[in-house]
Amino acid sequence: MKARTEEFNEIAQHEVKNEYARAFLGLLPPIIAMRRVQVMGSFPDPEKALALSQAIRAESVARLPELLEQFEKNAVEAGAKVLWARDGKEARDIIVNLARERGVSFVTKGKSMVTEEIGLNEVMKEAQIEPIETDLGEFIAQQLNRPPFHIVGPAINVPVEEIRDLFMKMGILKEDTTDPVQLGYAARLYLRDKFHHIKLGLTGINMAVAETGTIINVENEGNIRFNKSSPRTQVSIMTPEKVVPDMKDAMHLLRLLCRSCTGQKISAYVTMDTGPKKRGEIDGPEELFIVIVDNGRSIFYQDEKTREVLRCIRCGACLNTCPVYTKIGGYPYGFAYSGPMGQILNPLLLGFDRTADLYHACTLCGTCRSICPAGIDHPALFLYYRFREVEMDARFRPKRRPAKERLFFRIWHMANKKRARWDFSIKLSRVMMKKYEKEGWLSSMGQFFTGWFKERDFPAASRQTFREWWGQRKGR
Amino acid sequence: MVGTKEREVIMGAREEILERLRQVKQPLLPPRPVLPPLREFSFSKEELLERLIDELTKQEAIVQRVESAKEVKAKLRSVLEEEGITKVIVSTDEVVKPFDFPGAGREWGISIRPHTDFTDRDQFKKVVFEEVQAGLTGVNFAVAESGTLGIIHDEQEPRLISLAPIAHIALVPTDRVVPTYEVATDEVFKNGQRIPSQFTFITGPSMTADIKATPFKGMHGPRRLIVIIFDSPEEAKG
Repeated sequence: MKARTEEFNEIAQHEVKNEYARAFLGLLPPIIAMRRVQVMGSFPDPEKALALSQAIRAESVARLPELLEQFEKNAVEAGAKVLWARDGKEARDIIVNLARERGVSFVTKGKSMVTEEIGLNEVMKEAQIEPIETDLGEFIAQQLNRPPFHIVGPAINVPVEEIRDLFMKMGILKEDTTDPVQLGYAARLYLRDKFHHIKLGLTGINMAVAETGTIINVENEGNIRFNKSSPRTQVSIMTPEKVVPDMKDAMHLLRLLCRSCTGQKISAYVTMDTGPKKRGEIDGPEELFIVIVDNGRSIFYQDEKTREVLRCIRCGACLNTCPVYTKIGGYPYGFAYSGPMGQILNPLLLGFDRTADLYHACTLCGTCRSICPAGIDHPALFLYYRFREVEMDARFRPKRRPAKERLFFRIWHMANKKRARWDFSIKLSRVMMKKYEKEGWLSSMGQFFTGWFKERDFPAASRQTFREWWGQRKGR
Repeated sequence: MVGTKEREVIMGAREEILERLRQVKQPLLPPRPVLPPLREFSFSKEELLERLIDELTKQEAIVQRVESAKEVKAKLRSVLEEEGITKVIVSTDEVVKPFDFPGAGREWGISIRPHTDFTDRDQFKKVVFEEVQAGLTGVNFAVAESGTLGIIHDEQEPRLISLAPIAHIALVPTDRVVPTYEVATDEVFKNGQRIPSQFTFITGPSMTADIKATPFKGMHGPRRLIVIIFDSPEEAKG
């Protein structure tokens, strides 16, 4: 996927005015968030249940190398082939070659965020192998050539009329209808034929269990099950941090994943594969390839802070409560991952120079942190990124902040170093503010703070400062 | 297969990635919080069954409860007739096999074919994708906590029977009802045991809400999930 993270502000300004998308964002994320709270109530102690999944994720990341080796050993023993890739290119080459060697003209795909991260579809097309997304939302997003709007509902914002036109154009819809159910069934029929005849199915992985060498997929539609049942070859791709210690931990994480993701107790289908099909089985893959792609993760594993990002299980709960995401939707984030999840991940994957607007677009309200089943402190990471950016930490490929901003903070720093300077600068700024005040508000300060006043007003200075008021009180 | 030169690159990648991960000194982890057990653990058999049926119904599965194994055939026949199903594929797992449904089907004038009629994969796929209207299977577990069916896929239980046909009919003997997922996974992934190639949790029919957030059943998998619950022979005796 071609990243457009640099255009965050432009796309956000456009999307914030998209009334159709806004109507959805005002309705759907709050409903999912509410359902999540309700269904968390099925735990005798929801707080502890959350704390346990956070502890499991922390431990999984801390024990990553050991767990990965254990997983690989057990998966190989069960007959799977495990292939490692340093980066997106190596992973793409592995998968394209596997498909080529088997002479396939198309592959069907279960929803996999990492394949979007490494831009697999584009490369497959170049290699004359058609990648067909089979998750309904991904299928629509792919045909329209759009990034995912929401990790759970990638095309949930697309108007039905647009989907109708698309399906008519593709020739998979016979009758003119905007009924979502009929549109869904049209896609079902089209993809069913593909599922019947696929030779190679491609899926992501939600969890890889070290103890047993098992890979787990969680879904509602059944498309991943088809990808793991119908073709003779299955290729499943994961990043290293998908590994968890044992099946017990996996089951607890499963509960948290489904509750956080869609507010369900469990998704319709959870499949746990250990090796390819065994002799005598009439369906299931004869060969199972597990591709582990690092794509920079072992590098940001080195930093104690950024390591925390690897805990993420991609449930998307942080999107649904984020005051920024719920106004702008998924497009402005410009990459496979959106919302707070994308704001912590995209900068590490793409470099700070291309993603600076992402980690600045946050009110630091902390709701993401408070509900994260993986125990990630998103706001602390945003502050860390900003800090590393200002320090020009080369590991993150930052770009210098604008000269004006740097000058401002240098002055700010000087002005606040001594008490007398602080008092003086406060007095000065009060004079300035008075000058621009109109009916209790400031809507501009001439050439200063134009960035702020582009979108916002500022309350006028009060009659006296807190210190002055406090001084008077003490005198009484 | 992957070429030799590529294999070297890949092996190099493995070492490089793991080596980099190993460089990091691991922090001491705080102890894990102790979780109170899920409520289902203190349920009686009847309560578990009640929870199971309640959860299945919430997921829009159709639940048929019969008293004993003897009534299963008659119930299945009425289900098939009601749904207008004339062609069925059946697995050969230990729950469904003793019933000899193919034989019963011949009496009823309904084609119920065991998957063992097919030895060719493509032929089998053609039948499940294009010919039958329902797949009939047993289950290894029925998990009460969320109304989830646990099915081990093996020689007797092909994956596509419960997936490709538009209806899935599952037989659940009451002695296979368990409170939580872990009871099932402890059994399936027991140490030293042959782990099945695939173990699947099924909760309700296939579903989506990807267009306009409108939920509907039967996106790619079955539109209908019909669950026939019967007292297992041993319990019926007692």
